[in-house]
Amino acid sequence: MAAESWKDVLKSARKTALIHDDKRKVHYLFTDGSEMAEEYDLRTDELILRKWRRRSTLGGQGPWEVEVGESHSPQVLSGEPDLLKENISNPIFMRKDTKTSFQWRVRNLPYPKEVYTISLEAADRSCVIRTSNKKYYKKFIVPDLDRCKLPLESSALTYTHANNTLIVSYKKPKEILDFEQELLKELKKLKATKEDDNDCRTQ
Amino acid sequence: HLRQMASTKVPEVRDITKIERIGAHSHIRGLGLDDALEARQVSQGMVGQLASRRAAGLILEMIKDGHIAGRAVLIAGQPGTGKTAIAMGVAQALGQDTPFCALAGSEIFSLEMSKTEALSQSFRKAIAVRIKEETEIIEGEVVEIQIDRPATGTGAKVGKLTLKTTEMETIYDLGNKMIESLSKERVQAGDVITIDKATGKISKLGRSFTRARDYDAMGAQTQFVQCPEGELQKRKEVVHTVTLHEIDVINSRTQGFLALFSGDTGEIKSEVREQINAKVSEWREEGKAEIIPGVLFIDEVHMLDIECFSFLNRALESDLSPVLIMATNRGITRIRGTNYQSPHGIPIDMLDRLLIIATTPYTEKEMRQILKIRCEEEDVELSEEAHTVLTRIGMETSLRYAIQLISTAGLVCRKRRATQVQVEDIKRVYSLFLDESRSSQYMKEYQDSFLFNETQATQMDTS
Repeated sequence: MAAESWKDVLKSARKTALIHDDKRKVHYLFTDGSEMAEEYDLRTDELILRKWRRRSTLGGQGPWEVEVGESHSPQVLSGEPDLLKENISNPIFMRKDTKTSFQWRVRNLPYPKEVYTISLEAADRSCVIRTSNKKYYKKFIVPDLDRCKLPLESSALTYTHANNTLIVSYKKPKEILDFEQELLKELKKLKATKEDDNDCRTQ
Repeated sequence: HLRQMASTKVPEVRDITKIERIGAHSHIRGLGLDDALEARQVSQGMVGQLASRRAAGLILEMIKDGHIAGRAVLIAGQPGTGKTAIAMGVAQALGQDTPFCALAGSEIFSLEMSKTEALSQSFRKAIAVRIKEETEIIEGEVVEIQIDRPATGTGAKVGKLTLKTTEMETIYDLGNKMIESLSKERVQAGDVITIDKATGKISKLGRSFTRARDYDAMGAQTQFVQCPEGELQKRKEVVHTVTLHEIDVINSRTQGFLALFSGDTGEIKSEVREQINAKVSEWREEGKAEIIPGVLFIDEVHMLDIECFSFLNRALESDLSPVLIMATNRGITRIRGTNYQSPHGIPIDMLDRLLIIATTPYTEKEMRQILKIRCEEEDVELSEEAHTVLTRIGMETSLRYAIQLISTAGLVCRKRRATQVQVEDIKRVYSLFLDESRSSQYMKEYQDSFLFNETQATQMDTS
């Protein structure tokens, strides 16, 4: 199966699990020093958050990069708040998956549905959102498919627009569904420490 | 109308560009050598010392080649003969990309750090690595800049910047720093700019072609560029020059909340250094990085003690060692930390490794020339006679004293609303400020009337 190598990488990673706030939080430390953190809803088993932290070329620790879910910190572009940040009125792009599909939401997009075109670029394996009024453009990849080396199918791609939000969905292929099931089973086997906020001792 | 607002506001903030202060060696721009490495009598702020400058020029070539590591040079000479000036000249001639780390011998004696750690750090500050790194930039055409000042005139400014590509448009909120640099760069609507996300550095690429119709409004040298395509935020590979010390620091920072308890001493673990050395040589072998050995300049080197010298001896043997330039104004003196006397206060085994450049006192003509250069640097106009008098003073007292008199005489002259410093101004400041020998003379004469003079029988050891 194509997903083999990514599975091996996951297996070799040092995993720590923690149940907190009705979420199963898993931390992966990979052999190259990069880290991945995931949060799953305890009841629905849905992936709420996945973020990455990679080492920079010189060995420094980069910031957390959110792959799935909402980043809670405001979008400051750099460590210094004195520089610049995106205005809150700009479109906000985020990924929020469902059980059966990868899903991207772009909030703050007030234009009607006809404005948007969504296409797949085979050359660099990416999806592109274009607007005919030239106000918004976004190129993004589906890292899950890349990691498992699966092809992109334009038939799996759909989109809707409502409440100033553009929702792009990509139906998860069977391989991914199987893989996620298996991963979840493995994660549930991990011994998770239960953390209680009230029980925070000083030592 | 918003656009107009922005453009009318720009001249007001233009004076933000900082003026550099005038330092003792700020007039030096290089070693003043010709292509054959012969020293020109007066060039790039350097005067005289032809032989030493030529010698320094040879060392400079060696450094530029970058093949030879771990050589050490000693510049020895009387006070005020241009030792530091030569070192500064080397630094200037090396340019921006070659690391040059200057410190005074006494700087390494600190309570926070051991002497050898301080020396290791300076060694590593003097070696740089050129490496490709990916950084995120924002590249787009400026649609509009809007900067609002609070009505009271004080408090933080608020600003908005709208950028676009051929495909999209984004509004950014500007911080104070960003507002300043935008006005410093005189960014206007229609400019195509890039902003480095990490540092906030702005570079102007040119004017957008769509603005070509307002051509007559700008200079003929204005470059026109296409409006960028695609997304505003891009990843770009840029070549960075970082010193080994900077890489050490990046990699030794204690992470997370543990940093609160670690009691940071500023010392870097030797394992971290070894790891980084291994990594750097790996990069070099893979062709990913290039090592630039730079220069470590230790002024007043006689202030180092025997332990430091033995450390230097060892450190110079490493293949990741910079070229070491030291300067001293001492003759035969005690080596710190021992009871032995040695030339320049440097142990013989260390001296044996050194190439020694000697500087000699300036002639009257050279002194005159240097004073002239300093007058230009400090923006003081001197009459011919005043210049002669000042040179005389310089010959009889010291060059440093004469240089001190330039700015003070300049002030006296300005107070009497004149533009050119005359002999009287020089006389005035000469009588107001004592030089070293007159001060000593005065001391000898009036010793008895000073406080605590009865206890001064034992002489202090100042070395």
